[in-house]
Amino acid sequence: MYVELHARSAFSFLEGASLPEDLIATCANFSMPAMALLDRNGVYGAPRFHMVAKKAGVKAHIGAEVSCEEFPISDCQFPITSGPRLKIGNRKSEIGNSFRLPLLVSSRTGYQNLCRLITKMKLRAPRKEEGAVREEELREHTAGLICLTGGDDGLLATSLARGGMDEARRAVERLAHTFGRDNVYVELQRHFHREQEARNRAAVEIARSLQLPLLATNGVCYASPRQRELCDVFTAIRHKRTLATAGRLLARNSERHLKSPQEMQQLFTDLPEAVANTWELSSRLEFTLHDLGYQFPKYPVPEGETMMSFLRQRTEEGAQKHYGRASRDVRDRAHRQIEHELTLIEKLDLAGYFLIVWDLVRFSREQGILVQGRGSAANSAVCYSLGITAVDPVGMDLLFERFLSEERGEWPDIDLDLPSGDQRERVIQYLYKLYGERGAAMTANVITYRSRLASREMGKALGFDPETLDKVSAAVSTWEYRDENDTFDHRFRDAGLDINHPRLRKYFELCVAAQDLPRHLGQHSGGMVICQGQLDSVVPLEPASMPGRVVVQWDKDDCHDLGIIKVDLLGLGMMAVLEDSLQLIRNNYGEEIDLAHLPQDDPTVYSALQKADTIGMFQIESRAQMSCLPRLRPRHFYDIVVQVAIIRPGPIVGQMVNPFLQRRLGREPVTYAHPSLEPVLSRTLGVPLFQEQLLRIAMIAASFTGGEAEELRRAMGFKRSEARMKQIETKLRAGMERNGISREAQEQIILSITSFALYGFPESHAASFALIAYASAYLKCHYLAAFTAAMLNNQPMGFYRPATIVKDAQRHGLKVLPLDALKSDWLCTLETAVEGPAVRLGLRYARGLREEVAQALVEERNCADFVSIHDLVRRVPDLRKDELNTLAEIGALNSIGISQREGSDSESGNWKSEMGNCFFHRRDALWQVERAVRHSGPLLEEFPEPDSKSPLRAMHHEERLVADFRGTGMTVGPHPMAYHRAKMQTMGVRTALELSGIRNGQNVRIAGGVIARQRPGTAKGFVFLSLEDETGVANAIVTPDLFQKNRLLLSSEQFLLVEGILQNQDNVISVKAARVIPLPITRAQTTSHDFY
Amino acid sequence: MPFACIFVPDFSVEALLRAEPELRSQAVAVLEGKAPLQKVFAGNEKARRAGVEVGMTKLQIEACTDFVLRARSPLQEAAAHAALLDCAQSFSPRIEDAGDDAILLDLAGLEPLFGPQPKIARDLARRASELGLEANVAVASNPDTAILAARGFFGVTVIPAGREAEQLSSLPVDVLFVGAVPSPTLETFDRWGVRNLRGLASLPDVALSERLGQEGVRLQQLARGSISRALVPVETPLIFEEAIELEYPLMLLEPLAFLLGRLLEQLCARLGARALATQELRLRLELENGWHAEDDCCPSTALDPSDRRIFQRTLRLPVPLLDARIFLKLLQLDLKANPPGAPIVKIYLSAEPVRPRAAQSGLFLPPSPEPEKLELTLARITGIVGEGSLGSLEILDTHHPHGFRMRRFAPAEPQRLGPRSSEKPESNNAITALRIFRPPVRATVTLRHGKPSHIVCSKRIQGDILWAAGPWRSSGDWWEQEGWSRDEWDIAVQAESYIALYRLVHDRLSGRWFLEGNYD
Repeated sequence: MYVELHARSAFSFLEGASLPEDLIATCANFSMPAMALLDRNGVYGAPRFHMVAKKAGVKAHIGAEVSCEEFPISDCQFPITSGPRLKIGNRKSEIGNSFRLPLLVSSRTGYQNLCRLITKMKLRAPRKEEGAVREEELREHTAGLICLTGGDDGLLATSLARGGMDEARRAVERLAHTFGRDNVYVELQRHFHREQEARNRAAVEIARSLQLPLLATNGVCYASPRQRELCDVFTAIRHKRTLATAGRLLARNSERHLKSPQEMQQLFTDLPEAVANTWELSSRLEFTLHDLGYQFPKYPVPEGETMMSFLRQRTEEGAQKHYGRASRDVRDRAHRQIEHELTLIEKLDLAGYFLIVWDLVRFSREQGILVQGRGSAANSAVCYSLGITAVDPVGMDLLFERFLSEERGEWPDIDLDLPSGDQRERVIQYLYKLYGERGAAMTANVITYRSRLASREMGKALGFDPETLDKVSAAVSTWEYRDENDTFDHRFRDAGLDINHPRLRKYFELCVAAQDLPRHLGQHSGGMVICQGQLDSVVPLEPASMPGRVVVQWDKDDCHDLGIIKVDLLGLGMMAVLEDSLQLIRNNYGEEIDLAHLPQDDPTVYSALQKADTIGMFQIESRAQMSCLPRLRPRHFYDIVVQVAIIRPGPIVGQMVNPFLQRRLGREPVTYAHPSLEPVLSRTLGVPLFQEQLLRIAMIAASFTGGEAEELRRAMGFKRSEARMKQIETKLRAGMERNGISREAQEQIILSITSFALYGFPESHAASFALIAYASAYLKCHYLAAFTAAMLNNQPMGFYRPATIVKDAQRHGLKVLPLDALKSDWLCTLETAVEGPAVRLGLRYARGLREEVAQALVEERNCADFVSIHDLVRRVPDLRKDELNTLAEIGALNSIGISQREGSDSESGNWKSEMGNCFFHRRDALWQVERAVRHSGPLLEEFPEPDSKSPLRAMHHEERLVADFRGTGMTVGPHPMAYHRAKMQTMGVRTALELSGIRNGQNVRIAGGVIARQRPGTAKGFVFLSLEDETGVANAIVTPDLFQKNRLLLSSEQFLLVEGILQNQDNVISVKAARVIPLPITRAQTTSHDFY
Repeated sequence: MPFACIFVPDFSVEALLRAEPELRSQAVAVLEGKAPLQKVFAGNEKARRAGVEVGMTKLQIEACTDFVLRARSPLQEAAAHAALLDCAQSFSPRIEDAGDDAILLDLAGLEPLFGPQPKIARDLARRASELGLEANVAVASNPDTAILAARGFFGVTVIPAGREAEQLSSLPVDVLFVGAVPSPTLETFDRWGVRNLRGLASLPDVALSERLGQEGVRLQQLARGSISRALVPVETPLIFEEAIELEYPLMLLEPLAFLLGRLLEQLCARLGARALATQELRLRLELENGWHAEDDCCPSTALDPSDRRIFQRTLRLPVPLLDARIFLKLLQLDLKANPPGAPIVKIYLSAEPVRPRAAQSGLFLPPSPEPEKLELTLARITGIVGEGSLGSLEILDTHHPHGFRMRRFAPAEPQRLGPRSSEKPESNNAITALRIFRPPVRATVTLRHGKPSHIVCSKRIQGDILWAAGPWRSSGDWWEQEGWSRDEWDIAVQAESYIALYRLVHDRLSGRWFLEGNYD
């Protein structure tokens, strides 16, 4: 029997070419009872390896290949310093004679030692390098570890190459001394190399002389021989070469695949003990990740209190506050629910977790940071009472089991939404401070090969030039929906490339093969894990790219799978917008807004929602949402909850949207699959819309427990297993049969569950989001200036580009003032205008202008106004010419020195423009900039030159548009379409505003700038275009056929004229395109938000 | 003083059309790059009108049937440029090379010879056309105005003195900037809204110079047509070429050698008179009956497929030489090894001029063979062993066992010997040498339990395999069409009175077996 004990997965980033899942699948195919995964300097792939091995009935041994610094050997025959220096792995700097030490974990102590060893090495290493373990560190952490002498880059091979047999023997002896004679195995690999065989002979001789056991391994890098190609490509990428120039860095052959026990026995017929020892060693490796030993930290409570009693007190205080004034019935229900939850929390020993999250929320509130729990935590009355969430689960009758259940044996998941940016960082730092560097860390985000990254890197490895790379990667990027014409063959052809050429065919194969393989480790945006004691004994830690941050080697799913509790501190752009809005309102309107106590059922808000006038509003601004709002016509908060949840793949794929809307509009009777489901579905008119409803259906119709229902949801999860689905379906049917539900109703229920459970939105989550949506709508309707400024200051976020947000605000009567070097701050600000508050664009919108320079400009300006452009250049010397040119080109320098000019102009009268203002146009500024950036010499440097009139003619409107879009990505002047309205009218083009007055079915022409293109996966190839003109946004629907005929035009033209039939269904207006024509009305580079 | 400029628009297309004038009526695009990634480098007006843009891929325009595609030919472009020079030189001795596609001529004193300026301009255009190049010609009172006008205006333009600014005013400002690299000054003009030369010319001088410095002033003067400079005359290129057109086709090498000898003597005399030697001799033979041969010696100068009657040989010498007898001998050896294979109707022989070798050997350095003799010896050996089989080995960075290439043998510079102490101690290990069979010998092999057990290769090498070590497996270049995969075995076979050791190779892609060499 043979067990593979030295294998790398693709988690040895760029050194292995198979996922742990593939390795285990192959291992199971060979009926191998166990296997070890030894990734480079980490246990990145271990959780997936462990989980999938558990399912396959394979024992997953854990270990790692650890890079080590050389062993100083004093009586070496040949001095090391004169020997060749080896470069190992991804490390940039060479460390003399480093080697890789394969370590296998035999016990939990060993695992802890391995984690600490790797952590020490990683945290010590210079930035972007991997580091190496020192010998004294090894000596400290040998317990529970078994070491092998390694393959090509192992200690034995490097010592042999350096100093021959004597040195190799001494090195192995030293290993035996460090780890103990029983814990060192002399490794043999056979990949059909002459040199390797010579080394094996030496290894056998050394093993015999030192009486150490031999161990056969295959130094596996991939599951099947074919994956060698990808491994070669990774090698080239790692060394920043192309395949053609990588030479002998590439593998000599394809033998590093997982081989069957028979093949290995065949290979080692002369040394059967080397194969037999794998089995013996495997039986010594008792540790699996099941035995991780993770403990969640305890929350410090005052003396005489337990964590549970402390939690109970805090909960009761909160409950009193939230439910104190509620009806008796609600109070009683709340009390019962809280008791139920607390009992379960006590039973599962989770009090500490709730207290820690409560503490985080408390800290945020104290610091004035907006915070709100989201996700399934909103199902918990305890979370609501503790102030973690803002949705009342009792009032909304939410399902607690979706959050926590006894059966699942999993930690609950609490996600906190915080304003993105500095505020969130402060909360993260608070956690770090509380639990120490080794007690808290961010979860990792494994960056995997997706189509674009794969296409670029594979192309580079094949030696494509940059221009071709751009073309091929564009050809590989996809719309969300693909039709039968959307094959790669077509895409390559569209890009002007012949996929039948062998090289491009190979490129394509490699791109497909690389999909989903890990590339490197990133940092998750907000997931944090904390630990009672030392986190570095649970999982290795490594430095994150942000200084002072550490990240664990596992992503959030891995942490979840292994029962490590995490708190997600998610940065939400809209939270930052809300917070910034409140500040702007405070400063400019002199009003204090409390988001928790906004007026409910505000008519202005609901009127805007019913008209789908929702650009910029959280979660309800997309084209799809807008096409639903006029039909749903929200009137109450719960309608917003429904609105947030309904435009999701689940309800759309499950065909729930139309039945719901029809019932809501009273065009269809409200019915239920079974009368027993009425209490669950009555709120959503008999149509299931939320995940909780499906779970409740299972609980009622098939008598599932809460835990079983949650199990059902997970079975429908992303990695659906057919067998598991069938199993659950049988269970469901049996339950429904017992409850006397008809076959027909059973079918209906099962269909809705299977098509829906995966993509449905939890009601609690929708409710949390709806709160934010309402707040954003309220602020937009009542404090448009503040809301718009805050939106602009937090870009990029949301569905629309800043240009669209500005145009929408202008249509609502807001004055948006252009960038002005004398008035603009870095961020957008509010100014008082005659009509009310106006938004002044911030310097952050001047493309290419560095923030520190802009801040220096503002600082100087606050001391004294700039009297001329020369004065500006002199006082803000860091301003580069390109930055000045941009400022001048967008008109931000027009007002500089205006007072001086007014004085001098009274004589000449030259400065008055035709508009009657004191006029210094953009080209005048450009003319001055060119002069000011040229040094006038030390004598004249200190004497600012006044600005003078230029001989250049002023920009006409088209030039201004081009300059505005080039310099700021938007214009605060008229919409580009406005300049062509008269011509458009002669062409019979209607404005977006006019469409509501045109009856359904009429032939119309619309035209505008494309602000969004979508080809959703759920829309069967239809393409949705949003066209903006000066009056609003019109929607066009393009059929797959028309799209196919006009693919290039529809994908790339900025302004389009669409001709087709107007569809007005319940005030949802769109034009079904019959013809599309490009509209070359401006050279301005407008942009659209495209969802491919 | 009047100047003329001949400018050929779409030069790379025109260079190709010289050889194929019948394509003038069609849309022609010139491609650059290697398959499958060829892109459009240039196109004629018709191609542009049909939507061809620079940078499009071959596949994109292949979809349309109306285009003629040609690969870019630097050789033909060089020839076209030489033709342009010839054209200019046939009018004026003072010419300036103003780029591949433009030549300036000093017309001073030409009017009595060729007539008034408009006539000269028309004649120039006609002469260029006769040479196969459709050119714009402009005459002006200063060289730069002539260049701008030729670049900007189609056909023949004559700008009277004093009316330069007026005539140039309608030209776009980018006519001042040649080359693909975007110019910051052009960007500045664009920002200023200065789109044509009129706009630039009208800017105030001092203010412009304050902003753009001397470069701005120069450009403005160009725009006004007021810049005055002297012509930078080019010297006649040092081209040493001799040719003989034969009355009767030559069949034998011997009479050819006689003619070659004469040509070489003339060439050497010309080179000698200018104190030059040559390091490269090019022989071009025009053959009868459209016969064609590849130039094995110099694949980089591959011939134009449209000109299939040329046989060409190039001899490159390691050091400059000037000895007609040596040259003749080398050419004879080369032609003997590579006969033209068809009757010869024309002989072109050109020499690349270089400075003669002026090196003196060190007094205490070991003598090296005379370069002339060494070259002769190398040529003789090449004649025996064949092209590509002589030179210095360069081992390539690959796992492929035959990963090497031959580089031209050149005697290394004598090196100083280092102190003996730095020499490495010699290893005591015995080294087994492998003698490679080139080419490898096909073999028939019988396997037992996956190992070779019997071999039949030749009468001498056959029998049971006494023992075999291996397989030693390697494969590579899988991303190329020439991927390879092989197993090597070291085998022992009983010879007559001893045991012989061989390297046996199994090509895993073709399934064939070869004996690749034997061990000493």
